[in-house]
Amino acid sequence: MSHKPTITDTLQFPADSKVPGALFGVGAVGLIATIIGYFLDADQFFFSYLVSFTFFSGIALSALIMVMLHHITKSSWGVVFRRISESFTANIWIWAIFVVPILFGIHNLYHWSHPELLEYGTEEYDKIVSGKSPFLNSTFFIIRQVIYFAIWGFLGYKLHKVSVQMDETNDWGLSALLRKVSAPGILLFAFTVAFAGFDWLMSLDPHWFSTMFGVYFFAINFQAFWPIMILIVFYLHKQGLLTNTIRQVHIYDLGAWFFAFTVFYAYIAFSQFLLIYYANLPEETLWYYHRMEGGWQYLLYGSLIFRFAVPFLVLLNREAKKNRMILGGMSALVLIIHFAEIYWIAMPTLYDHGFSFSWMDITAFLGLGGVFFGLFFRQFKQNDMIPKNDPKLEDCLSKSYHQ
Amino acid sequence: MSTTEDQKIHGILAEFRNPKELTDVAKKMVNSGYSKFDTFSPFPIHGMDKAMNLKKSKLGWIVLGHGILGFSIAIAMMYFMSVIDYPLNISGKPFFNAPAWVPITFELTVLLSAFGAVFGMFFLNGLPKLHNPLFNSERFKKATDDGFFACIEADDDMFEAEKVKALFQEAGATHIEEVYE
Repeated sequence: MSHKPTITDTLQFPADSKVPGALFGVGAVGLIATIIGYFLDADQFFFSYLVSFTFFSGIALSALIMVMLHHITKSSWGVVFRRISESFTANIWIWAIFVVPILFGIHNLYHWSHPELLEYGTEEYDKIVSGKSPFLNSTFFIIRQVIYFAIWGFLGYKLHKVSVQMDETNDWGLSALLRKVSAPGILLFAFTVAFAGFDWLMSLDPHWFSTMFGVYFFAINFQAFWPIMILIVFYLHKQGLLTNTIRQVHIYDLGAWFFAFTVFYAYIAFSQFLLIYYANLPEETLWYYHRMEGGWQYLLYGSLIFRFAVPFLVLLNREAKKNRMILGGMSALVLIIHFAEIYWIAMPTLYDHGFSFSWMDITAFLGLGGVFFGLFFRQFKQNDMIPKNDPKLEDCLSKSYHQ
Repeated sequence: MSTTEDQKIHGILAEFRNPKELTDVAKKMVNSGYSKFDTFSPFPIHGMDKAMNLKKSKLGWIVLGHGILGFSIAIAMMYFMSVIDYPLNISGKPFFNAPAWVPITFELTVLLSAFGAVFGMFFLNGLPKLHNPLFNSERFKKATDDGFFACIEADDDMFEAEKVKALFQEAGATHIEEVYE
């Protein structure tokens, strides 16, 4: 009935591309500038660094869960995008070195790491932090970071490696191996990402807790992952790459995911807020209180409007998800507001009296972003841009719109 | 099955071998200018909407309308209850307690949207419909099993029994019959 679709595009990202080099250049300049900032204001340096580190780690982690979900459900819709995600996940073990500055800055970032809070009877003694010290202590924090990155690094590296191997050997049996890695991978991912959220962001205010924070952390990252994917595909198309392979119908799916997880984000973020608002317990409301005064509230209202209301209403219509201008615009908007939201979570710990923005926030973002995407493109150009021998590829290529 | 000549003709039913033939004959019917025709198959066939030249469903707009209605009703109801009719001070929160109203607003929006989707679908499909003249055809029962049918109705302005039969014949129908009301 239907003839076998063939790929007419070249599958190789131009080997002489200057993109990775340029990105590494930006990254190096940004990081050096930020390191100079360390000697001027160490607290500011570590907080700026943490915000950008979380931003980019979140992209890699979302790519990881997307690949695992894709394998475990034997999906065909996104085979053409899988190598992009895999190229993010393949670098997580390298990216692990960027958690080291956070370990050095543990006393600047995390109030609970100060040992004098635990000394009973002294003026600094803090009963709440003391009670949480079996979990929130520097040694265990460092051990946890090692565990997280060992798990993510292994999963990411393995999933990429086996997938590339299938390109060469055309051995479809490998897809069973990919599923075997993905199944426990998803379970481990769920725990590690939730706890990473607790560690990196929630414990900045050790008195506060939200049992939903792990899901919230996942929700903000996963929503922001789809804009990244959409913009990378648009970039490839602009370079004239994969224009006949990744078609409008595939991009529409990305738009649909983007829309779905916009709603998911709003649901999770609002649920967290509503329960705390309604119960009105001082130990819980204080966190929001600090984030709803002194200018910080505008970031919160900005998230509500530009991260939920606007993308929701705009992307509700099917035609909007087929329109590149609209999709690209919404993607850029959500990425900006994603950064703003992480900023809003982390920064009021340091500036609880009012909004503050430093040049180090920009340099840290450019530095880590340059390295992150430099690593991505370096990986991406080493292999074919789509898993060309995947059993589901044919399904994916012959995809058409459902009416 | 009894067919008497004085009965009013409903249309002409033709059976085809497979989805591909049915899709082709749908295109053919569109190209020949027929408008009141339908196709029947045991399962949805991809590309059939396009082959039959069907317009995009209006269901989405019905759902949107109901969603907006549900949203407005929820806000109006809670505003009347908590601000006008029986204001209660709950832990010092304002009467117009927007965050606390969100769940109910959401629920009513979704509920009415779902009603709009289900009943709108019934309405657009002309349901409930207790009888269709095509059920007079014994053969038509296969449409729920392994039969692929096309029917051009007598109401069509271009309907001429002989021409319609010729069209189906040409398209490779395995069985053609007149269906009476």
